[in-house]
Amino acid sequence: MDDRRQRFEAQALPHLDAAYNLARWLSRSPADADDIVQDAMLRAFRAFDGFRGGDAKAWILTIVRNCWRSAGAASKRRGHTSLEDENLAADDDPEGTAIQAGTRRRLDALVAELPEEFREVLILREMEDLSYREIAEVTGTPIGTVMSRLARARALLRETAKDCL
Amino acid sequence: MNCQESLRTQSYLDGELHGAEAEAAERHLESCIDCQALAVQAADLSDALRKSARYRAPESLRLRLAARLDRETARKPARGFWYGAASGSGLTALAAGFALFAMLPPSAATLAQSVADAHARALTSGKTIMVASSNHHTVKPWLAEHAGISPPVTDFADAGFVLTGGRVDDVAGTRAAVSVYRHGNHQLDLFAWPDRGAPLPAPGINRGFRTRFWKSGDMDYAAVSDVDAAAFRKFSQLAQQQRE
Repeated sequence: MDDRRQRFEAQALPHLDAAYNLARWLSRSPADADDIVQDAMLRAFRAFDGFRGGDAKAWILTIVRNCWRSAGAASKRRGHTSLEDENLAADDDPEGTAIQAGTRRRLDALVAELPEEFREVLILREMEDLSYREIAEVTGTPIGTVMSRLARARALLRETAKDCL
Repeated sequence: MNCQESLRTQSYLDGELHGAEAEAAERHLESCIDCQALAVQAADLSDALRKSARYRAPESLRLRLAARLDRETARKPARGFWYGAASGSGLTALAAGFALFAMLPPSAATLAQSVADAHARALTSGKTIMVASSNHHTVKPWLAEHAGISPPVTDFADAGFVLTGGRVDDVAGTRAAVSVYRHGNHQLDLFAWPDRGAPLPAPGINRGFRTRFWKSGDMDYAAVSDVDAAAFRKFSQLAQQQRE
């Protein structure tokens, strides 16, 4: 295996779950998420020589988002699909699982309903733990916009998800 | 939420503020009921979302991605023995593979690349064998159950090729049964998969491994290994002659 491939596997592939999670939440479809992530990782691999250290996670997620954007029109036509998916991170608490499952599914559905610009900042912040600066980088928006979108996303969810929280 | 400071409070709660800014936000939070409510709600929401759905990349995606990176790496001229020999059809197949991966019967170049990749992948991952057995009565039913096809499995220990087990692998998007043999320090993989009418490549060397393909009955076969030419020819002959 050549050196470039090894560096790519060491630096970029650990973020495959993050890439998939973002693609899955943006597209709301397992099939589209698959296509977007494959496309994104291949582009990342081809562009990897231009990547000089730094934040590989934000870099990968930026490419994922761009791929989603350019795949945009075709994917959006499909609309919503069920969020039930065996790839959800497993719950370690078997007793709580049954009780939580219903609530969680409802919350997932509400997140999926959020307008895209709010949904993406929420996913990047709450699930991927990106800083404001990184979110600004990934979404190509000023930090001030990130802050206000995040506030709006949370306010929207608070209103719709009262009984899930 | 009417407080003018709510964005600053949010930044504080998200851990974005430091030093004097953080202290100022904290002081404000102590006295502002709106922001205290915001803090509680933000924490609840954050907890709920973190317990919520973080999707994981499916295993199938990982495998496909690895295969695509293999092909991408193999496109480099320095490595491309086979692509050098058949560059036109190879690149066409590659382009088609991106769009219609599983729908078209693979081209000869794709097949040659794919079995060599699978063999290399198995060697580098150490997962060369899923069922370890020198008994073909064990390996054959295991392959039938797990690969969904049942090629003949024979131990050629008398000729120096010792059956060591079997595994399920992927050949250009098709599930293949693999019988694994040892010859000295070398491993030989014998792939078998349902014939889809694909043209089979001529004998060659891919990624440093010898490959030889043939059709028998309703299955395609490929032998892959880095043993020397004479041993590889002998193994291929034995494998082609074996019967149920």
